[in-house]
Amino acid sequence: MNHKGDFLSLLKHKDTLQIDGEMRRESNAKELIHDAFQLPSDRKASHGTTLEIPEATTVVAMRYNEGIIIAGDRRATAGTAVVHDRAEKVLPIDTHSVLAISGAPAMAYEIARVLKHSFQYFRRSQLQELSVEGKLRTLSRLIRENLPMAMQGIGAVIPIFALYAPQTDESKNEGKIYFYDALGAHFENVDFATTGSGSVWIRGVLRYLDRWGETRLEEMDQQQATITILRLLDTASEYDAATSGYNAKAEIFPTVKTITRQGIEALTDKYLSECYAEVT
Amino acid sequence: MRDMPYRWIEAIQDRRDYIEDQLRLGSPVVGLPYTQGSLLLTVGKGVQKIFEVHDRIALSAIGHPADIERLRMLVTDTASVQAFQSATEDVNLHRLTHYVLAHTFKQAFEAIVGEAYIIKMLLAEIGNDDAATQFTHINYDGNVKVQHESAVIGGTTEIENAMQDYLAAAQTDAKLDLPTALQLALKTWAVGRELSQRFEDADDNTEVTDEQIDEIIKTELEDGEIEVGVLDSTLSGDTKFRLLTQDEIQAARETT
Repeated sequence: MNHKGDFLSLLKHKDTLQIDGEMRRESNAKELIHDAFQLPSDRKASHGTTLEIPEATTVVAMRYNEGIIIAGDRRATAGTAVVHDRAEKVLPIDTHSVLAISGAPAMAYEIARVLKHSFQYFRRSQLQELSVEGKLRTLSRLIRENLPMAMQGIGAVIPIFALYAPQTDESKNEGKIYFYDALGAHFENVDFATTGSGSVWIRGVLRYLDRWGETRLEEMDQQQATITILRLLDTASEYDAATSGYNAKAEIFPTVKTITRQGIEALTDKYLSECYAEVT
Repeated sequence: MRDMPYRWIEAIQDRRDYIEDQLRLGSPVVGLPYTQGSLLLTVGKGVQKIFEVHDRIALSAIGHPADIERLRMLVTDTASVQAFQSATEDVNLHRLTHYVLAHTFKQAFEAIVGEAYIIKMLLAEIGNDDAATQFTHINYDGNVKVQHESAVIGGTTEIENAMQDYLAAAQTDAKLDLPTALQLALKTWAVGRELSQRFEDADDNTEVTDEQIDEIIKTELEDGEIEVGVLDSTLSGDTKFRLLTQDEIQAARETT
């Protein structure tokens, strides 16, 4: 065994990891470091591109009384064109964790896939589950390794990572929501997080609801939480062209999942359509 | 030494004797299919012996712990990388056995100046239907045996044969439920355990009575623990492997 024991090193050892493809191609270490830490303005001067992070999406996660509810719209865009209207942006990683992605789909899906395989590999090789901290570090590392792509404005990924720690105190809601920046720093957000181009329209609403709403987010039951999250996505789609709303004609619903002590549950279209009756 | 065939064969035979001597006292492992999948059972003394290799593949072995760990990692790494490069569904036991494990075993065994692996391995795989459910037995010299109804690994071939005979006598055509399969596997394990201890006294009698089975289970469980890993096709999620808890094992043993 010539690798360091974790899945990322294993893949690199076998030369199969593409996430940090650009970094590996640059064999000169000095150049590589310089490249990775170059300021956006330098970057612009030398490559003629600006650091523009495309995040055409809205994903949102919040804590409710049983755990976490996490949702994303279904639209994928390229410039002003709608490429796909059934994109999945809320991806289950293991039995109790979910990654909601905004940014370049190619990199985001690859990051989700590496993450999923990393967690499994850790369990199988080390004979125990990867700790919460370990999971967060793995994701941080992947996002940071994706930095060269992000710097070129073509592959930034800014996810929300939500998980539930089932082996802990049963009386408490052990759901945790983390959000990231493009450099891979993670922040724990107590009650809610949202990212993507539509997020600017609803972040304030979330704060308002949490602080002064009739029911605090964390005290909502599943139905209340679902209705709230659908309303938020609806609001985002109203103002952000890159976020889709509920498409009644084609019966396309946003993806909504809950993470509780029992695991991840994808809310069905039937349940969502009942909730939508309350939304409009 | 290669130009002296007789000495080479002799060296191989010495090596065989040495390895079999080391394996003789290993705690056997029994693999049985049941209604929802397959199970692997052994009794150990605090060290895990049944492992998850991939979504539908489990592994167990007897032998030197360092060898077991090294080969377990080899097969786990290969399966993980393959699943990542292609798809989880494309990982199969046949390829892992024949492409990765068998030749590694054989090479180490026949390179008489190098170290040999002191190991016997039993792998289980469940597929989407009965036909794909299989057990693979790999000997330290790289010989592979694929079985569908049941499989065992024990210290010597005689022990394994006696265990298989016991299983064949007890098994019916009907699929066993989990508690029944677990109880049968435990008894089969006891047959192997009893014989491995008896062979020390160079006694070639392979007859084991029910009283002796109960007796050996009782004594061995004083400082040992039953370990059961199942590949359960009804589990939700991609991973079908899990280890049963001690409570579950106890409940299954008490089911009549």
